[in-house]
Amino acid sequence: MLTIARLFGKSPFSPLQTHMKRVGNCIEKLTDIFDALPKGDLGRIGKLAKELSNLEHEADLTKNDIRNHLPKNLFLPIDRSHFLDILSTQDHIADKAEEIGLLLSFRALDMEDDLKDLLKELYQKSAETFWQAKTIIEELDELIESSFGGLGAEKVKNMVEQTAYLEHEVSEIQRKILQNLLSETRNLSIQGFYLWESLTKELGSIAELSEGLANKIRVILELK
Amino acid sequence: MELQSFFEFLVLTVGFYMAWNIGANDVSNAMGTSVGSGALTLRKAVFLAAILEFGGAFFVGSNVSDTMQRGLIDTTLFVNDPNLLIMGMCSALLATGIWLQIASYCGWPVSTTHAIVGAISGFGLIIGGSDAVRWEELLTIVFSWIASPLISALISYLIFSVLQRKILYALNPIESTKKLYPFFVFTVFFVFSLVLLFKGLENLNLDFSLSQVILIAFGVGGIAAGVSYFPVRNVKTPGTYPQCPSLRPQNIVSLEKAAKHLQRVQSSSFEEVHDKVSNLLDQVSSLAQKIKKETNFSEKASDYKTVEKMFVYLQIFSACFVAFAHGANDVANAIGPVAAVLDLVKNGSISQTSVVPSWLLAFGGFGIVVGLATWGWRVIETIGKKITELTPTRGFCAEFGAATTILIASKMGLPISTTHCLVGAVLGIGFARGMKALNLGMIREIILSWVITIPASAIMSIGVFYVLKLFVMEFFTS
Repeated sequence: MLTIARLFGKSPFSPLQTHMKRVGNCIEKLTDIFDALPKGDLGRIGKLAKELSNLEHEADLTKNDIRNHLPKNLFLPIDRSHFLDILSTQDHIADKAEEIGLLLSFRALDMEDDLKDLLKELYQKSAETFWQAKTIIEELDELIESSFGGLGAEKVKNMVEQTAYLEHEVSEIQRKILQNLLSETRNLSIQGFYLWESLTKELGSIAELSEGLANKIRVILELK
Repeated sequence: MELQSFFEFLVLTVGFYMAWNIGANDVSNAMGTSVGSGALTLRKAVFLAAILEFGGAFFVGSNVSDTMQRGLIDTTLFVNDPNLLIMGMCSALLATGIWLQIASYCGWPVSTTHAIVGAISGFGLIIGGSDAVRWEELLTIVFSWIASPLISALISYLIFSVLQRKILYALNPIESTKKLYPFFVFTVFFVFSLVLLFKGLENLNLDFSLSQVILIAFGVGGIAAGVSYFPVRNVKTPGTYPQCPSLRPQNIVSLEKAAKHLQRVQSSSFEEVHDKVSNLLDQVSSLAQKIKKETNFSEKASDYKTVEKMFVYLQIFSACFVAFAHGANDVANAIGPVAAVLDLVKNGSISQTSVVPSWLLAFGGFGIVVGLATWGWRVIETIGKKITELTPTRGFCAEFGAATTILIASKMGLPISTTHCLVGAVLGIGFARGMKALNLGMIREIILSWVITIPASAIMSIGVFYVLKLFVMEFFTS
């Protein structure tokens, strides 16, 4: 009679990390798109956006799998609804990445010279915020080992603070771009303006979501 | 064959089968964790378990066996017809054996203890009427079934909380483990000797007063703690960590990304390019490794690994503690009824004073060991693979909580389920946020199995009783 063995449920934490890894694949694909952007080859960008879409779908499948296999009577060291909340934030990040990919594939971006570098910076900072959040999710194993306190928690707390700082930097860049876009001398078509504006907003929201994700991990820590 | 020797033969056979069953199935709970965490090899675990199960059965087994043979039903009611009681006890044993076979075939989490208590009270109720069942005693036992998992949950919750606050949450876990280790060793040995020696070891004719017991337990704990101090002192402590690490996790990520891209090139290139790329790949991965090492990432992770390694020894002790307690409590399930029957055959009644003979306890212990040797080791292996989540720190706390509860219950003569105590203890650690994921559905299953087991084994023992009666009338009364 393996009563004791059956007491141990299947932990959903490593599937959560797998999901985050898949979301990471989306962000990587987005990097490829941004790398291809200066050449203005819409066909190639479209192809990459399609690939990104597929990756996002893959992440979705993992997400659904986790949701389907999280029985009501599974007892976790963190609140069940909190766990699902973390999962859905991760999912939102992938959604945003897909959206950005699609936006860029619809229409060639009017490459304003002074904004080009800012856009690159914005993208890189947002991605950095995301990678930081991903590292935090990878830390979950160690957090469980130290039962959400101690050194592991201190470290994660610092990482969360770093994420928040990165997000702050992202919004500064975002503001700069917006200010530039709205300046009197700028002469953009309405479509061009819309694309720039949406792009800035969506890239910013990747950083915001990543920061939110980090903060969701922050609240499960046992800090003295 | 004489009717008497037929009964003796029957009851010894079935009793041995029960002991075998206990050894085959339940011992794994104690040793599975140590095998799973790699603390013990399977061979060593089986060897240790055999010694401790036998020791527990032999030295502390008599209390619960007493309850089984005369605590549950009023044996004085059967003075006029001892054969009825003999047949009743035989059928209780048989019915329990059958029920256990069915349950393990279907994979239900039933407990031997519940089955045998149900079977004995069942036939007592039908054959002797409601006066025959000692309701007060039965209620106490049922209450202890509810209380024991809760108590072991509480104990393991408390000890895990201490471990959490003092070790896992410490800024230097290894250093604090080194400081606290002797105290944990002391606690284990103190509690163990206290519970073991209190009210004496009847089989060794040792009887100490409470103050003597406390003194001895203090001594044993102190010596053990002292002995543990030296090897623990030699564990290497890494230096203190900077509070705010200047790590850049992104760097590692970027390097790993670079390595991945290089891998892609490597797999699609040939000859010179291939060699050059392989070379680069090696460099990049070793750089990533180096940065990983230099940041506190892996260092901190290995800190907890060292702590877990140190707890391996405590876990082995606590596992032995469980094996001992298990032998003490569960041997009664097999030999309690046997003792009753042998007493009846010999004297015509169950004397209210005699204790269970030592040879019978040894017989039960032997049965458990045989069960362990023939089948139980396989179950230990299986369980060891399945419960790797019970790491040394968690395993130690769970086993300590469960074993203490079981041993106290054994001393009080209360037959409880060791498995359920262990389940309670693991849940206790889960409530302290120490476990990844626990299947709470098990609680429902366990409660359900109580509700089913007791009437089922009662009815079955009544059925077996009538069959046995027919059989005896057919072959022996003419």
